[in-house]
Amino acid sequence: MSEEKHYTLGTDQQMAWKQINAFPPLGYGFTEPGTYGLDATEVAAYNVAKSFYQNYPEVWNIDYIAKETKLKKDDIKKRLKRMYDERLIMFVMNPNVGVYGWGLYYWIVKLKEGTDPAVKAEFSKWYQNKDDICTGYETEGDFDYFNGNHMRVLDNLLADVIQPWKDHPAVDYVHLCPIRGDVRESLVNQWHVPEDQYRKFVFGEEQLKKFFKVQKKIDKNDFAIIKAINGTKSVGDMFDFDVLEKLSGLDGKQMKKDIIECVDVRKFMLPMIYINYRKLGISMQMYLVRMFQNVPSYRKAEIVNEFAGMDEFVDIFQFGDSFYDCLLTVYAEINDVDAIRSKLENYAEIEEVWTAVSKRQFRRWVARLDDENGYWEECVMTDDFLQNRLEAGAPKCRFCTDPEEVK
Amino acid sequence: MIVEHPREYVINNLQYALNPKSIAVVGASRYSTKVGYKVVDGLRTWGYKGKIYPVNPRSEKVGGLDAYPTVKDIPDEIDLAFLAVPAHIVKSVLEDCVAKKVKIVVIATSAFKEIGRGTLQDELTQYCRDNKLPLIGPNLVGMGSPYLNFNCGFIPYLPIKGPVAMISQSGANLLAALGTSQKDHYGMSFFVGLGNKADVDFCEFVSYAGRDENTKCLAIYIEGLDSPDAFIEACQNVDKPIVTIKVGGSKIGEKAAFAHTASENFGTTDAFYDEVFEKAGAIRATTWQEFLDVSMALGMQPAPKGDNIVMITNGGGSGLLSCDHFERIGMPMHELAEISPSLPGRIRAYMPMFGSPLNPVDISGTASPVQYKGAFTQVMRDPNVHGILGSICPTAVTDVPAVTDLVIDIYDTYKHLGKPFIMECQGGEECQEAIMKLRDHGIPAYPTAEQAVNAMAALYKYGQMKQAK
Repeated sequence: MSEEKHYTLGTDQQMAWKQINAFPPLGYGFTEPGTYGLDATEVAAYNVAKSFYQNYPEVWNIDYIAKETKLKKDDIKKRLKRMYDERLIMFVMNPNVGVYGWGLYYWIVKLKEGTDPAVKAEFSKWYQNKDDICTGYETEGDFDYFNGNHMRVLDNLLADVIQPWKDHPAVDYVHLCPIRGDVRESLVNQWHVPEDQYRKFVFGEEQLKKFFKVQKKIDKNDFAIIKAINGTKSVGDMFDFDVLEKLSGLDGKQMKKDIIECVDVRKFMLPMIYINYRKLGISMQMYLVRMFQNVPSYRKAEIVNEFAGMDEFVDIFQFGDSFYDCLLTVYAEINDVDAIRSKLENYAEIEEVWTAVSKRQFRRWVARLDDENGYWEECVMTDDFLQNRLEAGAPKCRFCTDPEEVK
Repeated sequence: MIVEHPREYVINNLQYALNPKSIAVVGASRYSTKVGYKVVDGLRTWGYKGKIYPVNPRSEKVGGLDAYPTVKDIPDEIDLAFLAVPAHIVKSVLEDCVAKKVKIVVIATSAFKEIGRGTLQDELTQYCRDNKLPLIGPNLVGMGSPYLNFNCGFIPYLPIKGPVAMISQSGANLLAALGTSQKDHYGMSFFVGLGNKADVDFCEFVSYAGRDENTKCLAIYIEGLDSPDAFIEACQNVDKPIVTIKVGGSKIGEKAAFAHTASENFGTTDAFYDEVFEKAGAIRATTWQEFLDVSMALGMQPAPKGDNIVMITNGGGSGLLSCDHFERIGMPMHELAEISPSLPGRIRAYMPMFGSPLNPVDISGTASPVQYKGAFTQVMRDPNVHGILGSICPTAVTDVPAVTDLVIDIYDTYKHLGKPFIMECQGGEECQEAIMKLRDHGIPAYPTAEQAVNAMAALYKYGQMKQAK
């Protein structure tokens, strides 16, 4: 295998497969061989930590955090517990949909001008409760929602997630934004960044100074703890595997070996601490960027790579096969949102920038965020595997079948 | 894990699994489609009167009930902790249960020995044993009792009240039996899924069922016995009929049983289990239908004192199917005159001239309720007759409901004689209704001759085993 074709994602089987192809990635919803199930033994460390961190902050590598933050261990644990209890943080995991056979389909919705807020509230309720929507935002501005699904079949998305409300008289338009590159989400770099940038926790210095002024729920020490956890060079430094072993009875050494293989080496999934901006009382400014259609794809990718080097962005998605080319977000209160817009518009390749601001996120990677409905951290993993949702009465995801849940 | 003998502390604590005053549902979910929700919902829907404490570290409320981050945080004594959480959480919850002095734990969770985590399962089991905390499961569906309106698990319905304690390693087959109970009026005293039976063993539930006043018969579905000697010991000490069905004996079934409930059958043979059940004094069924048919009969009826079984039928064909099957299974019928010399003459009065006073007694397709009543009464009153098998084959002149009612009347009138009375009703809708009505009155009734014969034969076999004790 040539060095040019080498990349670390996958197994020998997968690498052999890649040998056959001149260009390995095969588009949306393509399952790569060798991936682990999300509840597989190889992912046990994540699942154990996810199950216990609410009550046992010692699942984290407290020694490492103490060294990084210079805080006392008991103080670290108290802070982690408090931040969780106040719903400021949540431990989440992003599976690499690029290898699990799901397409990651985002879509924006614009309601007609003058839509009754009560009508918009009904839309929000439906999106909040529709379990196939694994991540979603309510917004105000040039669009009203930015939602996303991991789904295997585009028809299922259109028929079961989009169609039920698409023809509602209040809907002005809906545009699909399939993910071509997942660059950064919730301040953590994802897969489509240079190797040394993978899993990097990004929070600009200037933004950080303002962050502690505009909200008082997360202080510098709290933030240092989050930064330490999200900033581990290897996922093997994230947890205390002795504690995971003690809690679960599983072999700590094996769990460590497996999760390193899964996250660091094969890059199947990415665990991290999510900061709940809604609970902090701040909002998310979104920039939906459309580049001229005659801009070559390689140049579009270059521009997105340039965005990846900017540390004010919380999320960076690159789209493909869409009217739009990327979506960027920043925390509104700690940035000059107009200056960022101007910076984007200074790119000659960019035709148009739409903006919207979000005060509410529905879910973060299948974990519900709606504390007000009593569903904080209810994790609902859906999968349209083997389903044909175009057929009336056909079997659907079990989480879509309860009318009370999807109303 | 192996049990040397049925353990008294376990048997005593099983009352908390089937009649707890308070339950911690660990893994109680807020989502109505998730298992952890179904447990709480099932308890409430079916009328559980005790206290329910959902345990969920992510929520303060589950289904309107206060939820607690851990078992230790519950401000009350806990009789039963029901665990519906991933396998990696179980160890920690068990430690909390020990600290909380919970009386018994039930683990619904899969992914232990059956997927190769035998060491972990054994370590958790040993921990529970060291702390005298009985553990039922893991890898099970739940348990309950219709007498207590208690449905604990992810179980869609309760069975109807009845005499059979259903002890099953398989959740699916247990649920099938519960469905049969509803649909076919197969009554149960209690039911439990044992799953991997890591700690609490068959032998302890056998002992418990032996003491349970609502249980008249034990029906036990087995994929593998870890402790056959303890099983034999427990069965021998129970003065109630026991019916078993043992699966996983085929070459591929051996592997399937391990993958299902970690049941180890390597090195055992079907003959080994025959010997175990014989020593235990248990009747072994070979098919699921026979398992249900026989256990129902043993739960409802006494054993005959001998093999003088008389069949009264209005259908000659039904009689022939029956007498052939009796002989096939080693219990040939005797002619009526051999059983009681005067009985053929007395029974003649209740049949037309073309009827047959042999055995089976064919009172003919024109038989009226009056003729049925007379024939049944004659054989019931004859001291040489040990058991009665009745059959209804509906013709255009057969009044099935009337015959059904008179059978119930005769059974009630002569119950004190201690003779088993079994019915066969072969036909359509009216026969199905008759079967249900008869069963509701404690008379085992079946749609085919062979089922009815198997049931009578099992009663006879049980009687013989009791005499041999």
